[in-house]
Amino acid sequence: MFRRIKKYLGLDNQEKDNGAIYTDTDEPLPRNIDKVKERLNTIFSECSDYIQRDIVCGEDNGICILVAYIDGFVDKKVLNQDVIRPILDYFSCTDKLHRAKSVYQLIKRCIISSNEIEEAQSMRQAVYRIVSGDAVLFINGSRIALAVGVKAPQGRQVEEPDTEVSLRGSREGFVENLSTNMVLIRKRIKNPNLKFEMLQLGTQTNTDICICYIKGIANDEIIEEVRRRILKIRSDAILDTGYIEQYITDNQFTLFPLVGNSEKCDKLVSKLLEGRIAILCDGTPYVLTVPSLLVEAIQTADDYYDHAFFASFMRLLRLLALFISTLLPALYVALVSFHHTVIPFKLIITLAASRQGIPFSPFIEAVLMIMAFELLREAGVRMPRTVGQALSIVGAIVLGEASVAAGIASNLMVIIVAITAICSFITPPLIRVTMLVRFIFLIIANFFGFLGISLTAVVVLIHLCRLRSFGIPYMTPFSPLTMADLKDSLILVPIWAMITRPKALFQGDTQNRAGIKRQEAAKISEDK
Amino acid sequence: MKISKLAILFMLSILLPGCWDNTDLTDINIVTALGIDKDEDGKIIVTVQVAEPAAVQLTSSTHGGGGGSAQIKPVYVKSYKGETIYDALISMKSIIDKRLFLSTTQVLILGERFCKDGINETLDYLHRDYQANYLADVLVARGATPEQILKIQPDMDTIPAMYIKGTAENTAIRAKVERKMLIELFKDIKNECRQATIGQITRLDDKTVKTEGTAVFMNGKLVGWLDQYQTRGYLFVTDKVKHTTVSCSVNNSKISVEIIQSSGKKNVIFKNGEPAKLSIQMRLEGNISEYIGKETLNSPEDIRIIEKKISQEVKKEINMALTKAQKDYSSDIFGFGELVHKYYPQYWKKVMDKWNDIFSRLPVDVWVDIKIRQTGLIKSPMKKDE
Repeated sequence: MFRRIKKYLGLDNQEKDNGAIYTDTDEPLPRNIDKVKERLNTIFSECSDYIQRDIVCGEDNGICILVAYIDGFVDKKVLNQDVIRPILDYFSCTDKLHRAKSVYQLIKRCIISSNEIEEAQSMRQAVYRIVSGDAVLFINGSRIALAVGVKAPQGRQVEEPDTEVSLRGSREGFVENLSTNMVLIRKRIKNPNLKFEMLQLGTQTNTDICICYIKGIANDEIIEEVRRRILKIRSDAILDTGYIEQYITDNQFTLFPLVGNSEKCDKLVSKLLEGRIAILCDGTPYVLTVPSLLVEAIQTADDYYDHAFFASFMRLLRLLALFISTLLPALYVALVSFHHTVIPFKLIITLAASRQGIPFSPFIEAVLMIMAFELLREAGVRMPRTVGQALSIVGAIVLGEASVAAGIASNLMVIIVAITAICSFITPPLIRVTMLVRFIFLIIANFFGFLGISLTAVVVLIHLCRLRSFGIPYMTPFSPLTMADLKDSLILVPIWAMITRPKALFQGDTQNRAGIKRQEAAKISEDK
Repeated sequence: MKISKLAILFMLSILLPGCWDNTDLTDINIVTALGIDKDEDGKIIVTVQVAEPAAVQLTSSTHGGGGGSAQIKPVYVKSYKGETIYDALISMKSIIDKRLFLSTTQVLILGERFCKDGINETLDYLHRDYQANYLADVLVARGATPEQILKIQPDMDTIPAMYIKGTAENTAIRAKVERKMLIELFKDIKNECRQATIGQITRLDDKTVKTEGTAVFMNGKLVGWLDQYQTRGYLFVTDKVKHTTVSCSVNNSKISVEIIQSSGKKNVIFKNGEPAKLSIQMRLEGNISEYIGKETLNSPEDIRIIEKKISQEVKKEINMALTKAQKDYSSDIFGFGELVHKYYPQYWKKVMDKWNDIFSRLPVDVWVDIKIRQTGLIKSPMKKDE
């Protein structure tokens, strides 16, 4: 059965591949412009956005040029100004006869004032240029076409990302346009060591992918590994970095994110400077960073801009929030179902009083309330912005008031779910992870109490220690313990004390330049 | 295949034995106080005081606003008879609705008759069962059954047990009652060199109890009582006084001194291999907390007089306690036996069984020294004789 389906699918794929007309890699461009036109018309048949324009000029109308582009993709004004008008002007003023070869060179070197010109040697390249937004000039008698970059500015402006808000620091977020994103990075690292490696992925979409790293800081082996894994991707379409993430992640069967992502430029740049590798993808503002470690979940960009004491305190607070958001409901359920003995006397009265008259067991109650909250949250994400008010009112009243008044849930449970929810939002990369892990702990707690919780915690810990992100242990710097990297983990040391780069990621010279300079300065002042 | 089998096994292991002791908080009776007594036939009567959490919350939230009488009572008290404590507790299920949860027991009240018959063996259940709260305060009811005491309805606290615990705590701070937790009682019972004592509780009326005084045991049997002054004397000797107030009168003026520090040293003095004398040395420090009189307190001599008077008072109390323990009960509640055991183990082995008789016959040397440190905000009284 499966084999049959597979066979069917396989055949289907093959047919598709055959059907793609321009995949013929070696097809050279015909010399004759009419043949080119004919070929292009077959390739772009039924493409209503495809536009081609003939230019006939020169003495005896001897020069035929075909301009092909996608409507709306190119800036027509620029195309006219920089390409078509100069050609017409030039050839109308001169009465020299031009041979095809020289016409090509002439146009390329002297006439077109656009600064982005590339040669397309084959039909495939030419077509690719057309569909990716260039205007392509086919010159009669020449086997090389000219691709002129006159792309119209597309997409939205650079603005502050909604998902990652910071109190301090840059408010620039990435946009959907790849080249804009590259500029945003380059703007911050003015250094030729910052490398952008371009690739195309997706047999149908031909999406531009860019591997970005700083040569000399990033580990060459990891770069090679990233390259290898990305090139292995066989997919019709890459619509978001999320697609790539799923292809290149080390372990497919884990809840924890082994690839980081960010929308903020300054955050990404700091990650690059730590020796991480970024993967950008055209069409999405989310940029992937690898390797990604667990400790990144409690790090924010603000930490580094702020005083180290506050930052360290906030880090510890975030860690606490992580524990609360995964464990609190489970601990509560275990406490009220099994371990009455450890509850202080006055608390047990309060607990019992709040539980009085609730028809469900604590477990069912917790599951109900958490489910209600998760539903609300999901609705809040999906719904149109305008109905947000209504939803929050309904949520607050249903979750907070009515369920308690109706005797469905105890008010303590409402408090616990609320605290859990608040805490889960403190570590954004792990929101969905904590949600699922919370349920696992909750179920175990209902059956085994504290014993079950502690055993499950051990299992989760072992799992975390086994995970690798591009060969780097996920729990670095705690397991394996890397003393030097602890400076930027739970406790953050001031920026001037961060003398070394993260050892786990970096190869070679681990000295942080700023750190060295500072040390040298200190030495000099001591000598004086 | 293998994985699915394992998964099924795992699920079974969760579902079958998993929640055998999963009990909801609403399915237990929160026992706040436990009373144990005996009837004439030697059957054990167990009394439990169970809190109704919702009612407790309700009454404590409306507390001070008069409080409606139509509400459910915050606690109820039930008694049941049985052969043993456990038997009575289990049999009690026939009259109560939920499982009794003993870990929240705040106060354990022992009946007079129960204590007179001996507690050494009969308290076994509370030691054996994992649920019993070792930190519960133990008190012996005098002149009333534990049931009567647990049935009081105090104004001050919605839960009588908390009220009783509070009074015991207060009185212990004044050093008028010995506060004994269950675990300490177990230690006392196991201790061969020393006799057990437990605080005493009496019922004043429907709403009030009084925790003052001490029940003296001899080989696990209740033999008598110490009143509040004797209790303090006893506590002075055993070095358990933290704070207390001693009053005396000097030349028609009344003075209260607050003892802020007390260290008691006891010793057994041996002569020719036989114990010859018991000695008690007290070093106290105190502040004058009240002075009703007209004399000035300007010179150190004035203070000396007060110091002397107070030390006499303390000495008197200690002597009273000693006399009671030696002459009336011949029970070494002070723990002189421990010293003998420690320093003269050979001798102790010989006299172990008759130590209490030897103790009763020994003369005692009491020496009290007190230093008065401060006189409060003022030195002399407001209006003084010039």
